[in-house]
Amino acid sequence: MMRAGPSQEEIRRHNLGVLLRHVHLGGPTSRSELTTKMGLNRSTIMALTSDLTAAGLVREELPRETGRAGRPSLVVRPESARVYVLAFDIGVDRLVAARVGLGGVILDRREAARERGIFVMEDVVGRLGSFTREMLKKTRSDTLCVGVGVAFSGGVRRSDGVVRFSPYMGVTDAPLGEELERKLSLGIPVAVGNDANLGALAEQARGVGVGCRDLIYLHGDVGIGGGVIAAGQLLGGQGGYGGEVGHMVINAGGRPCGCGSRGCLEAEVGERALLEAAGRFGPQIGRDAVRAVVDAADRGDIVAQQALARVGDWLGLGVANLVNIFNPEMVIFGGMLREIYLAAAAQVRSRITTDVLHASRESLRLRTPVLGDDTTLVGAAELAFAQVLADPLEALARVGV
Amino acid sequence: MPSQPVLEIRGLDKSFGPVQVLHDVAFTAYTGEVTALVGDNGAGKSTLVKCLGGTYSIDAGEYFFDGKPVQVASPREAADLGIEIVYQDLALCDNLDIVQNMFLGREKKSGLVLDEATMEEMAAKTLDSLSVRTVKSIRQLVSSLSGGQRQTVAIAKAVLWNSKVVILDEPTAALGVAQTAQVLELVRRLADNGLGVILISHNMNDVFAVSDRIAALYLGRMAAQVKTSDVTHSQVVELITSGRSGELGLQKVNGVTA
Repeated sequence: MMRAGPSQEEIRRHNLGVLLRHVHLGGPTSRSELTTKMGLNRSTIMALTSDLTAAGLVREELPRETGRAGRPSLVVRPESARVYVLAFDIGVDRLVAARVGLGGVILDRREAARERGIFVMEDVVGRLGSFTREMLKKTRSDTLCVGVGVAFSGGVRRSDGVVRFSPYMGVTDAPLGEELERKLSLGIPVAVGNDANLGALAEQARGVGVGCRDLIYLHGDVGIGGGVIAAGQLLGGQGGYGGEVGHMVINAGGRPCGCGSRGCLEAEVGERALLEAAGRFGPQIGRDAVRAVVDAADRGDIVAQQALARVGDWLGLGVANLVNIFNPEMVIFGGMLREIYLAAAAQVRSRITTDVLHASRESLRLRTPVLGDDTTLVGAAELAFAQVLADPLEALARVGV
Repeated sequence: MPSQPVLEIRGLDKSFGPVQVLHDVAFTAYTGEVTALVGDNGAGKSTLVKCLGGTYSIDAGEYFFDGKPVQVASPREAADLGIEIVYQDLALCDNLDIVQNMFLGREKKSGLVLDEATMEEMAAKTLDSLSVRTVKSIRQLVSSLSGGQRQTVAIAKAVLWNSKVVILDEPTAALGVAQTAQVLELVRRLADNGLGVILISHNMNDVFAVSDRIAALYLGRMAAQVKTSDVTHSQVVELITSGRSGELGLQKVNGVTA
């Protein structure tokens, strides 16, 4: 059926979301700035802010000082202490839970180390559930949870939050979203996403990639995940498993990979590859083990230096392929790849110089995350905020306000 | 891409008595970019930086800042243009706190007394703009800080004065791995925030991790100034050790065609 243009009500709802997003990502913003940024007139902005104020999502205040003549424009602030989401980050080595206020403020945070090994749904969901109870006990009664988001180190089906695969946690087809929703019993749907995909969105929204429409975020955990943002959109693929750059084969017949193939980027660059090359594969694992190799190299350990050079070279090759394919403005090295990039940048960039088309590398920027180790957690929070930013009033109605 | 360099040197000569340390050196730095200055010990890196910063006078050559020809006869004049240098010794006072150090010798006053509130606010704002999260309190004494935190304070001090160009002399030389990573990220952020950064370093990983351009000095001559995205590690090492690498670099060293 042919559809007429959007109704006035639809436009209003859309604009409410856009305004809320400005304040959520940009922090306190004056009405006059919003007028310019959104291209709407003053009375429309006033009507929108008063709707959002009535809904308890923002509040308006006089600015402290303007130093200019004339009546100062009111500043619109997100109600960070009142409106929040729950964000969870499930990595191979750690579980993190946080309460994140509108505007992206981490209000409360719990973290636990996770034992390597098989993913046991009951244990993980149980731990996140008890973290949540602890955090909710400390919240005031007038606060409001508007969403729940999870970043998971593995492939997640977009449609229903089912974890399809995670080689390092030995899990296939686990209904994580559903189980966690039942455990939390907040009556709020739980959104689940791949950690590196969400990391890409987080760094673009409030990290080093602000204003960048084409970027690639690489996340080193035990394996390597990726998130590709092209023309402002995350490339999720058909089912949501896009961006698994860790399984791009860069060395045919190379080291065996947890996925069953050989010579994948994560088999040549992942934690195990580095530790084995450095002759340090043993009881010490995770970020500390990676840092120990970097530290040894810095102190002159030749074996550690060669291991980093080797891994850096493979990493450069992988990035070179990605840059040739996607022509990104920025590549971000997150998780343990931050340490590897900074310690082996000479190899990584030499590869890029020799293997990337000149036109694609001349303005390429290589960066580490501004959000540090919270990149994937912040991504989970942004996923949880997605509903309320898309249609604030409808989302509030759904959580029962 | 920036069209006009924020800082440019052409044909710089510098001698100490009979010894000519810099020969016909050209060098440029751009806003929003990190330019790494590399070279062996004795290649002239420190002398060049001291010429840029007004500590040494130049014998011959042209100096342009923001496209205009300038004379820089003293460190004060360099600071007035917006050039700050962070030396390896950092020049911080252990017995003063972070705010006092950042404003040392350039304290803000309100009437006759020091304007502590304004200084504190400016210091906090500067550290915040650099996303510095490693320092607990800006009223901490510098003696209680780690090497990386001291480097951070010294860099923040250089940024505080609306400077346009910050020159960092081996900022990671004395640091451990974790602190080196933080300082490298800080160096990158300075440029991303819109400053021109000149980084002197011997560590090729540091240079490749953060730089946009590399200027290689060889025996007092500028062997080449190249974009980092156009060179490999081994080419830069060759420029440093022999002044040339294939087509790059000096084709005639000390009067001898190589």
